[in-house]
Formats: sequence, C-alpha cells, structure tokens
Amino acid sequence: MEVFASSAVQGIVQGSLYALIALGPSLTYGLLRILDVANAAGLTLGAYVGLEAYSATGQWWLALIAGAMAGAVLGWLIQRLLYRPILGRGPIVPLIAGIGVFIAAEEAFRLVFGPYNRTFAATLPLPALQVAGTQVTGVETLILLIGVTVFPATWWLLRRTSLGLAWRATSQDRETAQAMGINIGRVIASIFVIGYALAAVGGVLVGVTYNTVYPTMGDIPAYKMLAIIVLGGLGNPLGTILAAMLIGLVETFVVAYFGFVLPRDAIAFIALILILLVRPRGLLPGDEVVQ
Amino acid sequence: MSLDYLIVVLVTISIYAILVVSLNIVVGYAGQPNLAQGAFLGIGAYFAAVLSVRYGWSFWWTIPAAVGAAGVAGFVLGAISLRLREDFLAVTTIGLNFVVVAIFQYVPFFGGAVGVYAIPLPSIGDHQFGNADFLAVGLGMLAVVVGISWYLERTWFGAALLAIKDDETAAAATGIPVAPYKIGAFVLSSALAGLAGALYAPFISAVTPTSFGFSESVVILAMLMFGGLGVIGGAIAGAVVLGALPEVFRFISDYRLLAFGSILVFMLRFQPQGLFGEHSAVLATIGRVVPRRLGRRDAGSGPGRGPASDGPA
Amino acid sequence: MRSTLRGRAVGFAAAALLIGTVAGACSSSAPAGPITIGFFAPESGFAAADGASAYDAAQLAVKDINTAGGVNGSQISLVNYDDASDAKQAVTIATKLATQDKVTAVVSGSYSDQTLAAAPIFQRNSIPMLAAYAVNPGIPATGNFIFQQDFTGEVEGAAAAVALVKDLGATKVAIVAIQNDFGSSLTTGFTKEAQALGATIVATDNNQFGEKDFTPILQRDVSKGANGFFMAQYYSEAQQYITNWNALGLHLPLVGTEGVDSTTQFFEPVGAAANGMVFTTPFNRDSTDSAVLSFVKSFTAAYSHAPDMVAATTYDSFMVLKQAMAKGTSPAQIQSGIAGTTNFVGVTGTIQSYNSTGEVVKAVDLEIIKDGAVHHYGDVTDPSIITP
Repeated sequence: MEVFASSAVQGIVQGSLYALIALGPSLTYGLLRILDVANAAGLTLGAYVGLEAYSATGQWWLALIAGAMAGAVLGWLIQRLLYRPILGRGPIVPLIAGIGVFIAAEEAFRLVFGPYNRTFAATLPLPALQVAGTQVTGVETLILLIGVTVFPATWWLLRRTSLGLAWRATSQDRETAQAMGINIGRVIASIFVIGYALAAVGGVLVGVTYNTVYPTMGDIPAYKMLAIIVLGGLGNPLGTILAAMLIGLVETFVVAYFGFVLPRDAIAFIALILILLVRPRGLLPGDEVVQ
Repeated sequence: MSLDYLIVVLVTISIYAILVVSLNIVVGYAGQPNLAQGAFLGIGAYFAAVLSVRYGWSFWWTIPAAVGAAGVAGFVLGAISLRLREDFLAVTTIGLNFVVVAIFQYVPFFGGAVGVYAIPLPSIGDHQFGNADFLAVGLGMLAVVVGISWYLERTWFGAALLAIKDDETAAAATGIPVAPYKIGAFVLSSALAGLAGALYAPFISAVTPTSFGFSESVVILAMLMFGGLGVIGGAIAGAVVLGALPEVFRFISDYRLLAFGSILVFMLRFQPQGLFGEHSAVLATIGRVVPRRLGRRDAGSGPGRGPASDGPA
Repeated sequence: MRSTLRGRAVGFAAAALLIGTVAGACSSSAPAGPITIGFFAPESGFAAADGASAYDAAQLAVKDINTAGGVNGSQISLVNYDDASDAKQAVTIATKLATQDKVTAVVSGSYSDQTLAAAPIFQRNSIPMLAAYAVNPGIPATGNFIFQQDFTGEVEGAAAAVALVKDLGATKVAIVAIQNDFGSSLTTGFTKEAQALGATIVATDNNQFGEKDFTPILQRDVSKGANGFFMAQYYSEAQQYITNWNALGLHLPLVGTEGVDSTTQFFEPVGAAANGMVFTTPFNRDSTDSAVLSFVKSFTAAYSHAPDMVAATTYDSFMVLKQAMAKGTSPAQIQSGIAGTTNFVGVTGTIQSYNSTGEVVKAVDLEIIKDGAVHHYGDVTDPSIITP
C-alpha cells in the first residue's frame, strides 16, 4: 500500500512537470499544426539562465523569472525567424527545421556552458511535506503549486480571453480568422512566448529537482512531449494535461511494480501506440480540421 | 588525401544515400511521415550480423535475410499507418525507434547491450573484401534502389502513391486500393533500408543498439528534406552533402554538429523545397545555364516527371 | 526579382561552401613530427564530457612526454579527431589515421561502439591501439595489436563483489546497472563472484542513460530483502541514485564502480551524501606515488579541475606507449613492447601485464567516500579475480 501511495504521489508530480513542459508544444500544434521539437531548447535555456540568475542572486524566484523571460525571447525569435516564414509547407518541413534548431541549440549550450553537468542546488523556502505516507520535497511542492496555478490559468486563457478566442479561431481556420480581422502574427507570437516561457520554467524546475543542468537535458523531453500531446489528442491542451498526468502515473507505476523491464521512455511510447490503436485520435480529440 | 580514406567516406555516403532514396518512397511519393528509417537500418544490420557471426552465413545470403526482416517490420508499420494519420503516425514512428532499440537491448537473440561484433569481412571466392569492394557493393545497391525508385515514378503504382499523398479520400474514390498500396510503400522503403543494413554490418564490423536510434532516423529524414523531398537526385544530394559534412568540416571539428543543425535550419527556412526541390534556387540556376531544359521544368511537375512537393499540407 | 536575388545568394553561399569544403577535405591535420600518435574521443555530442576529459589528458600526456625528452630523443605529436559518438565516423577516422596520417600508434579515448568499429582497421594495418576506458570484450579480441587499458567489466564486477560480499558482509544483493556493455559485463562479473562467495542476487535491474528516478527500484529491492546494493552506473545516473538512496534513508552497504569516478561530475555535487559508498576504480586518490601526485597537480593546473578516471586511464595509455616504444617504433616493436609490459607503474596503479588477448592485468583499487572526500579503502589483488 505504501508503494501505491508513494507511486501515486510521485506520478502526479512527474505528470505535472510533463504537463507544464508539454503545454507549449500543445498550444503550438493546436494553432499551427506544427510539432515543435525546438520547444525543448527553451527548457534547457531556462535551466541555464535560471542557474546563472540563482548563482548571481541566490533568489529562487528570480531564477524562475529570468528563465521564463529567456524562454519567452527564444520563443518569439523562433516563430518570427523560422516557423512563420515556412507556414503552409506541410508538416514535415517545420518538424525537421525545429529539430535542426534543437540540435544547433544543444551544441550552442555545450560550447558556451561546457559539456559537464552543473549542479543547481537551490534552497527553497518550502518544507518537505508528508503526503499519504510519502515525502514530498520542497521543489516537488513547488511543481504542484505551479501546476495548480498554470493549468486553470491555461483553461481561463483559452476559454475566457480574447487571445484564447483568437487562438481557437485561428486553429480552426486560419484564413477565415485572418479575414475576420484577427492579427494572426500577434496570436502566433503570443502563443510561442507563453509556450517557451512555460518550458523554461519547467527547465528550472527540472534542474532544481534533479540538481543537474547539462546541454542535452532537453533530449528526452523533446520527443516525450510529442508523445504526450499526440496521446492527449492533438490540438487539445486539456487533453495534453490529462495525457501528461497519465504518462507520469503509468511510468511511475510500471517501474514501481515491475522494475526497469522496459526503458522508461519506451513506456511512454508503448502506452501511446497501444492507446492510439484503440483511439486513433487520442484521448480527447481536438479540432484538427484539415487546413 | 589517401584513396582509402576517400573510399571509406564514399561508402558511408552511399549507405546514407540508399537509406534516403528508399525513405523517399514512403515520405516523398506516398506522403507518409516516417521518422524510423534508422530502426529499419538497424533491423537489417542486426539480422545480417547475427546470421553472419553466429550461424556462419555468407554475406551474400545475409542480404536477402536483412531485406526480408526489415520488410516484415515495414509491413507492421504500414499496417499501423492504416489506422493512424499524419502527425499521429509521425509521432508513432518516433516511438518505433525506442521500441526497436529496446528490443535490441533486451532480447538475447540480438546480443543484448554488448551487441554483435567481429562481423567477418565478405568475400568473393578467395578474395576478401577491401574498401573498394565495399564501395562497389554500396554503389551497386544504390543503383538498384535508384532504379526501383525511377521505375516506380513511371508506373501506375507510383502515380497511385502520388494520388494518395495528395488526397487519400479522393484517391480511394477513384478506385485506388489505398491500404495495400500504402503498406506496399512502407514494405518497399523499409526492405531497401534493410539492404543498407546488410552492407553496414560487415563494413562497421560491429552492431550495437544505440547506433540505430531516433537521432539516426532524424539524420536520414533531414538529408531527404535538405536535398529535396520527392526527388531522387535530391535524396542523393542530401546524403552527399550532409553525409560528407562531418568529414569535410573536420577543420572546425568542435562546431560540426552546430554547423549541421544550422545548415539544416537555413536550408529549410530559405529553400524549404530542398536543394533540388521544385523551383529551388539550384534548379533555377541550372535552368538558366541550360535554357532549353528550363522550359520543360517551368511547366511544373507532370506525370512521369516525378513527384516534387512536400508532403501532406 | 526577390527570388533571383535569393537564388544568387544561395548560389554564392553554395559556391563558398563548396570551395571551403574542398579546401578542408584536402587538408590533413597531421602536424609535422617524426612520431605521431593518433587519438579519437567523443568531443561533441552526448558524451562530450568524457571526450573532453580524455582529450585533455591526451594533450597533457604528450606534453609531459615531450618535456621529459620525448621517445628515444624524438618529440611526439598528437593527431586528434572527434568521433561525435558515431561508429561510422570512427571508421572514417580510423581509416584516415591509418592510411593518410599514417600514425605510429593510436590511443582510443572513446566509448565501446566507436572503439569496436575502429579496432579492426588498426589491426589490419598493424597499428598498435590502446583503448583507454572502453570495455567491450570484442575490442581486445580483435587482434594482437589491440590492447585494453582499463580492466574488463567482468574483472571489475568481480572485485566489486569481493568488496560488497566479503568486506561489507552483504548476503542478499540488489544490482542496478546501466544498460550497455559496461553495465552488463559488470553485472556478469559481479553475479558470478558474489554467488561463488555465497551471496544471492535478489534483483537485477537495468536503466537507460538519463534515468532520474531510482526510488521505486530501491523500494522494490528493499522489500525483496536486499541487504547490499551494487550500483553499476555512470556519474549522472549515480548522482540521482544517491539522492534517492538518501531520501529513502537507507543505511546499507553500497558499492559503486569507476563510472562514478569524477571529481566535478560526482564527488563535488554529491559530496557527503555518498558517505560510506565504496567503489572500484583504477585511480587511487590517496596514493603517495610521485607520478600520481604530479599528474593530479599538473592536470588541475592546466584544466582547473581535478582529473577523473577517464583522464587517468587515457594518460596512462600514453605512458605505456612511451615505455613500449623505448625499444623501437616499428609496429612489431611497439606491439611486443606493450605485450611485454611487466609491472609498469602508472597513475592508475601498477600494470602487472597484458594477457594474451591484450587485456590489462592489474589490481583493482577500492576507494571509499568518507566525510565527503575520497579515500583509499583497499585493493583486490587476488590473481584469480583480476586476471581476465
């Protein structure tokens, strides 16, 4: 029973982190039908900038803000310089272009910050809690707090703001939305800024949780987030959050009860393939109307 | 530059070229996303390696075995493609890489984490393969793959694949058997990747699980997009340019991967159709030099010319 | 109009690229120097940290050898290539080193996949090669010109079993090993020796690179009654393992391996959290041997951080080569010089010999982490264990 409880708690924490990092790609896909691998570069950038900010000031919340801002800038640059000009070229061109950006970014991080693991020992003023017989560390509590804030905020953004309306309109039919006077450029820019800032915050949290920041830390998230957004139902950010929690829980439970019978990353993809065979459009299909 | 070194680099490029031209069948002609070509290379290479090292098969017999094994795996992916579309399929192919690598790592038949090594050199009669022989076989295999692709472009099957790429529903409505043709494209593309695997195994002399993961598949697809999706010459050009890059850029050794990523980004940003894709700058420059050809190229793609666009929109 | 300009720009760039690449292709990176030693390591890509370590050590070794007068009066020079953790590049590099740069000998500072791919080429060209830290059994088995500088995974695993079962008294062992040839050969060697010593293995688990959460595995192992743990990991994963270990409040015997042997990547970040852990390594930190002390000092001075196991074994590979070349630099002379090495004192201890397959025979050093620092714990010298 103890294993069940601790796995459940760990799974929820892991799932919340995944959800935070997957939201950006989910919003981007919903808007532009692009699988954005470069988003994971925002994660790594956030971790490094956050680390530098923390080393300079000793304030953890400054690390989060600095990371988020760096992520936001990167997101803005990538959509403006790369993705916007190649819209309408089919899905594979932006996918490979994004992978190219990601590869170049990882190398840039290595060249600038060195290949070695760096530690990110941040002291958070959050105590370790005892939940259902398991210990939840300070940073894990922070993850949950951020999740509990961000996810409803995303719902509110999409359902109650004009940006959200513009996002939904653009994702359904970009041309008509433009004809209706929606500033597509602004919508795209906003989504990328938000999505990359979220990834960057996720990066800081990952760095602190595991006390390590290194150039290739975005590798696993880059493609795992794709699996999560597909599993959740492409084009549906709420489905993404659901899928992220599911994957976090499945991974943790499988390892807890069966050990490392499968590579952990393969678990996410196997879950994806199995569920897709039953529900080919994901858990909560979004509106992927063909443009 | 030593001749041996040049030949070895050319063998590497020809292995890539086989992989890219075969991938083009599924991505360029049939318009199906496939980010798992590295896995099919691995399946072919592993079968060739195991049969050769553990069962003493001669290189020449490992070729059909590798082709067959990879083709069977391609059939599985093809079947999956019937159920999943576009981006769902793309991400599933990403996942396929991890599943295949896990199989290589955990299933004892494939040697586990240690892999299979000491793969013997092929021989013709008494003569053991030297680098030049590998190159000859590599170019021969490439010729076969190019020939098949070229022939495909001119057959009903090829035209049907193009139709499927453009609009699957419409294609089905006109009587094209979409399902078998889609599966056929996957089987063919994967089987030919297995062909490259049969060459890879004795050439590298060892196969290990992590050599055939997602990053390898990405490189192969990147070469195709870089060179020109749907164009055989583009596929080869992508393999040549990006395949030669690591060697040619050794003078900026530490920055090669950065260069690779940047070149890829720049190409797809400014010439998303690739080097030899439709209306590419390279083709336009050639067209100006050879004016008579320009007229025919400007007429755009027609039947028999070969597909030249970028996948499902 | 725009597309013509763009077309011209692309064309110009392509021409520049072409010229640059042809120029680059025609250049050879072999500097002048009568004795050249080839070297390759993963200096970019995911393994760049180890590649950097190995390359740093290689450069230091060459410098030290030359300062001490070189080999038989001739200076040596390094021909270095980055294999980016790609077996295909290892093949092209090996071919280039053998047929274009025509090096006298080679040290591999790379992982097993790449060393495995390169070894047959050096063997065929009769160029002696030492693998600094790659441990795939296929490497030394390639031929008589190929040698392995680091003990095999099986030897090291067996030594770890001696430490965990005999010294620390574990009777039920849980193994968590990285899923590659290093981890699997360590597991094989450990399991055999542990069982011979009377212990049972209650669980064996394999994780991938990048694994960050060992808590469920450790909990399972404890629930299965494990009273001793063998951690066959590299430093990144080991750091997470130790974090989880401490979070669970475990106070049981724990033995690690040389995979954690890195000051910047393990001992510093983990510090006292790993107190009590014993690990097998070729590199003795408490050694009062002048060679070790001066190596640590000059490496730290040159690179601002202490050397790790990868650096130490790479450095020693060059030193072994130097003494092997003392009698001559023809391939056969170097080959027999290495093969005939007897009781060579390097920074990774004393190399007793190389066996007939080319695998090194040397005692396994045991270090322990006490008060956050690494100290000598013991040695495993039993020939039946350390002879591969």
